[in-house]
Amino acid sequence: MKKLLAILLALAMVLSLAACGGGSTASDQNNAPAEQEPTGDAQPATEAEAAAPAADGEKETVELTLWGAENDQELLRQLADEFIASYASMVDLKVEVGVESESTAKDTVLTDIDAAADVFAFADDQLAELVNAGALQSLNEMDEALVNLAGKSIADVQAENGTGAIAAATYGDTLYAFPKEGGNGFFLYYDSDLISEDQVKTWDSLLDAAQASGKKVGMTLASGWYNAGFFLGAGFYAHLNADGTTDIDWNGTAPSGITGVQVTQAMLKIASHPAFQAVPDGGLSGEIATGNLCAVISGTWDADPVQQAFGGYAATVLPTFEAGGQTVQQYDYAGFKLVGVNAHSKNVGWATLLAEYITNEDAQRLRYTAHGSLPTNLAAASMPEIQDNVALKAIAAQDAYGVVQTVGGKYWDPTATFGEMIAQGQLNVDDEAGIQAALDSLVEGVTAPVD
Amino acid sequence: MKEEKSGGVSAFFAAVGSFFSDFGTAFAKGDVFVKLSVLWWGAGYARRKQFVKALLMTLLEGAIIVFSVKIAAQYVPKFGTLGTVQAEKVFNVATMRNEWNDYDNSFMILLMSLFSFVVWVFAFVVLVKNTVACYNLQLTAERGGHINNFKEDVHTLIEEKFYLTMLTLPVLGIVIFTMIPILLLIFVAFTNYDQNHMPPNQLFTWVGLRNFANILGGGGMTVTFGYAFVRVLAWTLVWAFFATFTTYFGGIFLSMLLNSKRTKAPKFWRLLFVITIAVPQFVSLLLVRNFFSNGGIVNTICANIGLTGFLRSAGLISTSYIPFLSAPGWAHVMIILINIWIGMPFQMLIATGVLMNLPSDQLESARIDGATPFQQFRYITMPYLLFVTGPSLVTDFVKNINNFNVIYLLTTGVYTTTNQAMANSQAKEVDLLVTWLFTLTQDYYNYKMAAVIGIMVFIVCAVFTLLAFNFMISGDKEGVYN
Repeated sequence: MKKLLAILLALAMVLSLAACGGGSTASDQNNAPAEQEPTGDAQPATEAEAAAPAADGEKETVELTLWGAENDQELLRQLADEFIASYASMVDLKVEVGVESESTAKDTVLTDIDAAADVFAFADDQLAELVNAGALQSLNEMDEALVNLAGKSIADVQAENGTGAIAAATYGDTLYAFPKEGGNGFFLYYDSDLISEDQVKTWDSLLDAAQASGKKVGMTLASGWYNAGFFLGAGFYAHLNADGTTDIDWNGTAPSGITGVQVTQAMLKIASHPAFQAVPDGGLSGEIATGNLCAVISGTWDADPVQQAFGGYAATVLPTFEAGGQTVQQYDYAGFKLVGVNAHSKNVGWATLLAEYITNEDAQRLRYTAHGSLPTNLAAASMPEIQDNVALKAIAAQDAYGVVQTVGGKYWDPTATFGEMIAQGQLNVDDEAGIQAALDSLVEGVTAPVD
Repeated sequence: MKEEKSGGVSAFFAAVGSFFSDFGTAFAKGDVFVKLSVLWWGAGYARRKQFVKALLMTLLEGAIIVFSVKIAAQYVPKFGTLGTVQAEKVFNVATMRNEWNDYDNSFMILLMSLFSFVVWVFAFVVLVKNTVACYNLQLTAERGGHINNFKEDVHTLIEEKFYLTMLTLPVLGIVIFTMIPILLLIFVAFTNYDQNHMPPNQLFTWVGLRNFANILGGGGMTVTFGYAFVRVLAWTLVWAFFATFTTYFGGIFLSMLLNSKRTKAPKFWRLLFVITIAVPQFVSLLLVRNFFSNGGIVNTICANIGLTGFLRSAGLISTSYIPFLSAPGWAHVMIILINIWIGMPFQMLIATGVLMNLPSDQLESARIDGATPFQQFRYITMPYLLFVTGPSLVTDFVKNINNFNVIYLLTTGVYTTTNQAMANSQAKEVDLLVTWLFTLTQDYYNYKMAAVIGIMVFIVCAVFTLLAFNFMISGDKEGVYN
């Protein structure tokens, strides 16, 4: 009677086989065009078909998925509809807009590249890893398609956007994404009722003024995004190698002659000031709302809470600090939000056109109107209302002291821990050997092979 | 069919032995159709005029052959290398599409090869069982016995052997949804599947025991991985021990308090505790995390009443806040305390149920003999509770080893380690093996190391469960209570 059991099993298995078979044929479709490739004669025919699709009355249907941030959904839908309408004579486009935070896009995309959206928005620090995993389409390859259908070359895109934004979207010599918005860096907000314009210029005077007012200066130290600003200002670097590892020199001496130990000592001095408040990563908005702060290092996303909490709403570039007998300007990581095209998209050409469309000058103007994003497009950025925006003016000024961030995954935990050690006062200002050892451990962790 | 109740390892080998010896006998002594049924599964049935069965077996065999040729043949030959052809693409302006080469996807090769192996093992078992069954049919026929027609076969499957019919689907589910993923996990532990080797654009391949050498401290590249592993493992075991026993005994005492005749309105109190169960765990945990965070309400209160200043002057803390969930030691104790609050009500309910069934005659006679309440508890209530709830204590311990929720929700975003060696391996002092595994896969795509840790967790749980059950179930403890 076991045979009948076997038969039942068999039936179930045949069903599951059928399911598997279906799955593999679907993935085979990826390979199908490759098989056609050698038969060169077939191509002119398809070209003619693509060039004059309307002629034979049968428009090709192209389905695209677009992932963007929660607050961008409405605008993306509107732009996608315009995009569909503008190419309606050539193809039958369908665009599905989905929510995927720009800060987590990389994680979702890399989990399953084949299942990810055709076009997705992401923060520029994810670019290198996305490129290394082969998830992003090289836009230089798409030049011809863009010129044909959007009347715009890659060189045009590079020319009409800010150099920082283009640098952030470029890996090697290849452009991998369209810049969508800038201003994703940090600067200093302060309460101009309590602190004067002169006092915010250096950390010493800022902290003293804060102490006099009975309030504090908030900053996140336990994050490699924020605490790098001290080292970058002194001329140190942290950048990504081609093999996915990160190169970092914070335990050495910068070209300026300042050592990593001296920068750390300056950080310790700041962190131990009674008016300094170390805020855990992600806790800044909550801390601002308590009203205990009179100045805070944060970005444009905190403009609203700051405006509500501070009597005199003002913003400016980050202050300077003293290290190794020199005055050092604190830097920030100039962050950008980009829109990339999935290299595994079935319709990579149309996906590229859509990505370009939702990041062009008009789209960036609309995006500023919708939620105050700083345009990367030079023409859009010259809008008069942007020149009057306190936070955007500060971030634009800070851009002179900003570095585009390219680091690997191993960068984050060691730098966060290093910042937390400073925040908790676990390092002693006078113990140079101890600081050097901590910096050496930091460098060892960050430069560890991706393994 | 076979004797399977004698238990133990020997029975297993006896079963395996008879599996093959039965096949040998059948193949040697069977007639030509039995021999032929090794090649054509339907042969034996066709000879005995069981045509429906013959057809079904032929279809099954055909399906397996088609699967082997069409699907398995694409993947299994590449199993040794996990693929050699890297993905490459060219954009075709005319079609507006990328044209890919016929590249290898290491993950698909691994997965489909595993699936093929499972199918082939299944096919082999069916082949052997089938031959034996055909031989039995031949014997029945030679004896002149009755040979079931298809209707009768179906009938037995519904009446006499209904358990087989019922078990088919669950077994199939376990094979597809549990066994294949577990096998996959085990195989991944022997590959270099990580961020630099992510399909579909990159290939990964076999690396032997290198990952295990790394985690056990032998690796040159990840010196800190072994360091972190030992500490995470130690905290996992400490946590599992305390989390299990604090909630267990807490629950028992609570339920005894509520069951006491002197307690007024026991239902009301019980309801209060049960409410913590009713609120979803992640909501209450996230709230508690915010209460105890560095700038949370508890810290504000402590600072206002001067407790923070007192601890600071006593030298117990170096920060301007009490690091309830952000410093090692503090966080470890807080997590266990918070877990008592979360976990005790469950144990209370279980203990209440058991206490209600406590044989009251024993308690009464003890009372008449002049036993104190503590003696009653020590010698009657507690042994009885331990006897009844012992197995669940073991499962609780294993569950706590893998208690992801409490640790992850309480520490993510508030706990930053200051131990650089831990940070260099992406671990924290408060990580359990399972939360570390989550970070490695979710944030660092280090699937191979996550697989190794997964195997380690499995070994820890398996060893503990076997030991505990053997210890508890061996001996005739049952007799004590009868």
